[in-house]
Amino acid sequence: MLRPRSSFVAAALAVLPLALASLSPLPPILPAAHAARVEIADIRKSLVRITTTAQEPDYKVPWNPGHIVRGVGAGFFIGNQRLMTNAHVISNARFITVEREGDPKKYQASVQFVGHDCDLAVLTVADAHFYDGLKPMEFGGIPQLESSVAAYGYPIGGERLSVTEGIVSRVDFQPYTHSSIDSHLAIQISAPINPGNSGGPVLQDGKVVGVAFQGYSGDVAQNTAYMIATPVIQHFLQDIEDGHYDRYVDLALTKMKLLNPSQRAALGLGPEQEDQGVMVGSVVPGGSSDGVLKVGDVILAVDGNAVASDGFIEINGERIEMEEVAERKFKGDELKFDILRERQPMSVVVKLKPCWPFLIQANAHDVRPRFVLFGGLLFEPLCRDFLEAFGIDDLRVRYFYDSFVSRALFVDHPEVIVLGAVLKDPVNTYFDGFRNGIVDKVNDQPIRRLEDLAAAFAEPRDYYVIQLIHEGRPIVLERKAVEAARERIKRAYNVTLEQNLGTSPIDAAAPLANDKPTTTTAALAAPGR
Amino acid sequence: MLKFYTRFFLGCASALLLVSSPALHAASSAALQQSAKRSEVSVVRVNSANQSYDFFRPWAKRNAFERHGLGAVLAGNRVLVTAELVANHNDIELERAESGEKVSAKVLCVDYEANLALLAPVDDGEGNKFFAGLKGVEIGTESVVGDRLNLLQLESNDALVQTPGPITTIEVGRYQLEGHRFLLYRMSLPLQFREGSFTAPAIDRNGKLAGLMMRYDSRSQTLELVAGPVIAHFLHDFDAHPQGKYQGFPRGGLDYASLRDPQLRHYAKLPGGSSDGVYITDVADAGPAAVAGIRAGDVLTEVAGQAIDQDGNFADPLYGRINLSHLLTKAFVGDKLPVKILRDGQAQSLQLTLSHKAPEDYVIPPYVLDAGPRYLIAGGLIFQELSRQYLKEWGGDWQKQAPQRLVYLDRYQSALVQDGRRRVVILSNVLPTASNVGYEDLNYLVVKAINGHSLGSLDDLAKALAEKPEDGFYRVEFEDFPREIFLDSAHLSEEDAKIQRTYGLPELQRLN
Repeated sequence: MLRPRSSFVAAALAVLPLALASLSPLPPILPAAHAARVEIADIRKSLVRITTTAQEPDYKVPWNPGHIVRGVGAGFFIGNQRLMTNAHVISNARFITVEREGDPKKYQASVQFVGHDCDLAVLTVADAHFYDGLKPMEFGGIPQLESSVAAYGYPIGGERLSVTEGIVSRVDFQPYTHSSIDSHLAIQISAPINPGNSGGPVLQDGKVVGVAFQGYSGDVAQNTAYMIATPVIQHFLQDIEDGHYDRYVDLALTKMKLLNPSQRAALGLGPEQEDQGVMVGSVVPGGSSDGVLKVGDVILAVDGNAVASDGFIEINGERIEMEEVAERKFKGDELKFDILRERQPMSVVVKLKPCWPFLIQANAHDVRPRFVLFGGLLFEPLCRDFLEAFGIDDLRVRYFYDSFVSRALFVDHPEVIVLGAVLKDPVNTYFDGFRNGIVDKVNDQPIRRLEDLAAAFAEPRDYYVIQLIHEGRPIVLERKAVEAARERIKRAYNVTLEQNLGTSPIDAAAPLANDKPTTTTAALAAPGR
Repeated sequence: MLKFYTRFFLGCASALLLVSSPALHAASSAALQQSAKRSEVSVVRVNSANQSYDFFRPWAKRNAFERHGLGAVLAGNRVLVTAELVANHNDIELERAESGEKVSAKVLCVDYEANLALLAPVDDGEGNKFFAGLKGVEIGTESVVGDRLNLLQLESNDALVQTPGPITTIEVGRYQLEGHRFLLYRMSLPLQFREGSFTAPAIDRNGKLAGLMMRYDSRSQTLELVAGPVIAHFLHDFDAHPQGKYQGFPRGGLDYASLRDPQLRHYAKLPGGSSDGVYITDVADAGPAAVAGIRAGDVLTEVAGQAIDQDGNFADPLYGRINLSHLLTKAFVGDKLPVKILRDGQAQSLQLTLSHKAPEDYVIPPYVLDAGPRYLIAGGLIFQELSRQYLKEWGGDWQKQAPQRLVYLDRYQSALVQDGRRRVVILSNVLPTASNVGYEDLNYLVVKAINGHSLGSLDDLAKALAEKPEDGFYRVEFEDFPREIFLDSAHLSEEDAKIQRTYGLPELQRLN
C-alpha cells in the first residue's frame, strides 16, 4: 500500500543505517536463551555476513558518479543458490562480498533480484564451493503476540554472529522507510536490533518468521524493532519466480471511514449493513481502480471479505486493513469489490497494477539522477532525493510534490521539471531569480517529461524561450550564446555528461496509456550500473 | 505583520535593558542634544486598547492588549498615528503628557496599506478643551537624503526627548503589509527605548512633520518611517472627499521584471543601444493596466513622461533614481497617466486611469482588520471564507506553517481562481458532536458546492442550507479528499442549538 507524505513531515522511523554507525565497544553478547541454543548450530550453516561497497548518486552534481560508502549487513541462505537480505543492504552496490560462519574466505556476490518497495533482495554467489555445507532456512508464519523470537546478525560491525531475543509486540502495517512511501505488514519485536542486523533472520521454533530491517533511533523509542513479515517475504519470492520483480500493485484509491450516521444513511446503508462499508474518497487517474470505482461508491466487501466501517477486514481471525487483499496479489491479478453505487448493490472487478505517480515521493535506488544541463541551467525531474539534496522549500515545488498524486498533477506533468541550479557563466548572468522554477513550456511546446525538454533544446532555434509555471518573465537563451558557453561551462565545472535520460520511475513502473511504451523494465533488478 | 511588530519592539526593549551600564547611559544621553519646551512641538500620547479577532475561533476575540504611541497633532484638533497602533481597537484615548488630561478619540480615517490613521476626539467640545494650547504641525514633504530629523519621544516622566539623526536612504520600500510599497525614509540613530513609542513623529528643521516611525531595529540602529509625502497624500485624499469616501493610494495593476538581460532584450525586440524599459510579467484582471490595454510581454518604457530604466526606476528630482511605483502612488485615484510601451518592437502610447483595489475586492482578501471574520457553523462544521488574515494565524512563519494548498491558492489566486467565485469557502474545523462523528478530523478543505449549488461565498452556503433537500441530506462537496460528506437536514437546527450550548458559542454565524 502506498502512502504519500507531506514534504515537511520528518520521518520518525530511522532505517538501520547500512554503514557502521559507530566504533564504540562491542556490546556483550546476551546469553542465548534455551530456544535459541538449539538453533545455533543450524544458524551457523545459513547465516552470512554481507559487506557492500555502494555509490550513492549525487543529485546536486548529477554527472558525478557519486559518493562511495561501505557497510555491513546480514543475510541467510534460502536454497537454490540464493541468499536473502534487505534491499537497503545492497542498494546502489558496486561490489558485494559475503562471508560464511567458520570460513575465512570472502566470496563475491551479485544481486539477482531486488524489491525496493518491500526492502528485500536475493543475492547469488558465482563460486559453487560457497554453497558447500550450507543449509537452507525454512519460513514460518506470523508468530503469536507475546511469543519469543531470536534475531541473528552482525550488529555494530562485529565479525562474530550475534543473537538477541525478544517477544512479538505488535503485528500491523508499517511504513517501510527504505522507499519511504510503502507500507506493508511488519512485526514489531522487543529484541534489540542495531545497524548490522539488517537482513538477518528472526527465528522461532527453527523457522524464519521475519527479516530484521528497521528500528527507531535510541532517542525516539527503545527495544522497538521491526521485521518484515513472512507474507511479504513469500510475496517477493513468488513475484520473482518469473525471473522478474514487479512492484507491489496498488488499489490507487483513498477510502473514507463510514462512521457518520447521516453519511451512512445518505449513501443507502441500512441496518443490515451495520458497521460495514467504506466510501471511495478519491481514485488516482490511470491507477488500478480508475474507471471501475468512483468517488462516492461504498465498498462492502473485497474478494468476499466483508469490509468494516473503519476499513478493516478479518483474515484468519486477525483484523487487518482491507488493502492486505491487494497486497497478496500480483500485477495482472483481479480483485472483486462488492459495492453500493447510488444505493444499488453491484459487483465490480479491478485489474491490479502498480501506481507509479507515488514514486515521486519515494527514495530512488539503483538509478542515476536524470537531468539536462543547458546553458549552465541544471534541470531535473522533481523527486524525493532531488528535493532533499537541494533542500528546496519553494512554495510551487512543495505544492507539486505534495499534491502530485492527490490533485492528479501528474496527468499534465508526468515529470515536474525543476531548475535546480544555475552554473554561473556569462550566458546566464541574469538568471538568479529563476532557481526552483518549474518548466511549463519551451518555445510554446508543453514540457511533460525530461525527454521533451531535451528534444526542445536539440531543435535548432535562434532563441530558446523557457516559460516557468507562475513566472511571467521567460528565460530566454540565444542559441549562439549557449553554443559559445557550452565548452566553457563543461571545462570550468568539470561536467562529464550533459544529460542523462536513463530510466525514469515512470518507465520502471506502469506508463500512462498515452505515454511512450516501456522500453526498459530491468532497471530495478539490475543494480551496479 | 502586526504581531511581528510587537515582538520586534519587545526585542528592542529587552536589548536595551541588558546594556544599561552607566557608560552607555552617558553615551546615549549625549546623543540627546536638546530638550525642547513642550509647547513648541505638538504631540500627545495615544493609548489604544486593541483586541484582534481569533480566526481559528471566529466567534471569539483574543486577549485584549494596549499599545501606546505618540501622535502628531494636526490642525483641526486631529492626531496622526500609524494604522498599526489602532488596528482592531476597542477604545482610543488621547493624553496630554504634561497634565495627564485625557479625551476619548475615534478613527476618522485609516489606511492599513499606507500604515496611517487619523484620529479625532469623539466629542468636539471636550476636544477643544483638550487641544487648548496645542498648535497643529504642518507636513514636510521636502526631506532628502542627508537631512537631519528629530525623532520625538516622551520619557516616562513626561520629558520630551528629541533624538536627531540623518536620513540615510529614501526608497520605495515595504510597509506593514506585503505587496504594498511606498516612499520610505530610513534613518540611522541610536534610539533609547521609551515606553509608549509604538508610533513616534519625526520633525524636520522647519518644525514640520517629516515622517512617522513604524519600525526600529535596535541591532543595526535603523529606523524606518512613513515618509512625509505619503502622509500629505493621505491627508489630501481624506480632506478632498466626503467622510467615508477616502479613496486610498492607487496601483497600476501590473507586475514587471528587470530587463538587464541582453538576451531577453533581443528577444523582446528592443532597439539596439537602448537600455530602458521593464518587462511586463503580469497584468491584474480589470486593473488599470489591463483596462489601458497593457499585456504581459509588453515593455514599459515611460510613465507620466518619465523614462523608466531597465530596473524599473525613474529619475526623481528629489530622490534620484527611485522605483516607478512612486509615480503611481503619488498620483490619485481617477488620475490619468500617459504611459509608453513597446510591443513587438513597436512603440505605443496608452493611458492609465488609476484606481485602488480594496481588500474586499480580492477573492482572498489580503487583510481583514477592525471586523470579525465571517463564519457559519452547521452541524458542528465551521465554515469560513479564506483570507490572508486567516493564514497569518499560523504565526510569523505562516507561509510555511499554514496549510500549503491554501497558501498556494492565496499566492497565485489570480491564476487559480478564475471561476467567478467571490470568495473561497473553506471548512476550517469541526466541533465534535454526536451527529458529526467521523468528520471530526476534517479541516482546511476548500468547499466547492452544497447539493450541487457551487459556493461563491458564505452567503451562498447560508442560502443552500435554507433549502430543504428532497432526500433529506445536504451533500457537501470538497475539492480534495474526502470529496463529499452528508449532513442530515432534519436535525441540523436541533444539533446546532445543542452545539451552541455545549461549546458556549455566542453566535452560530457572522455574515454581516
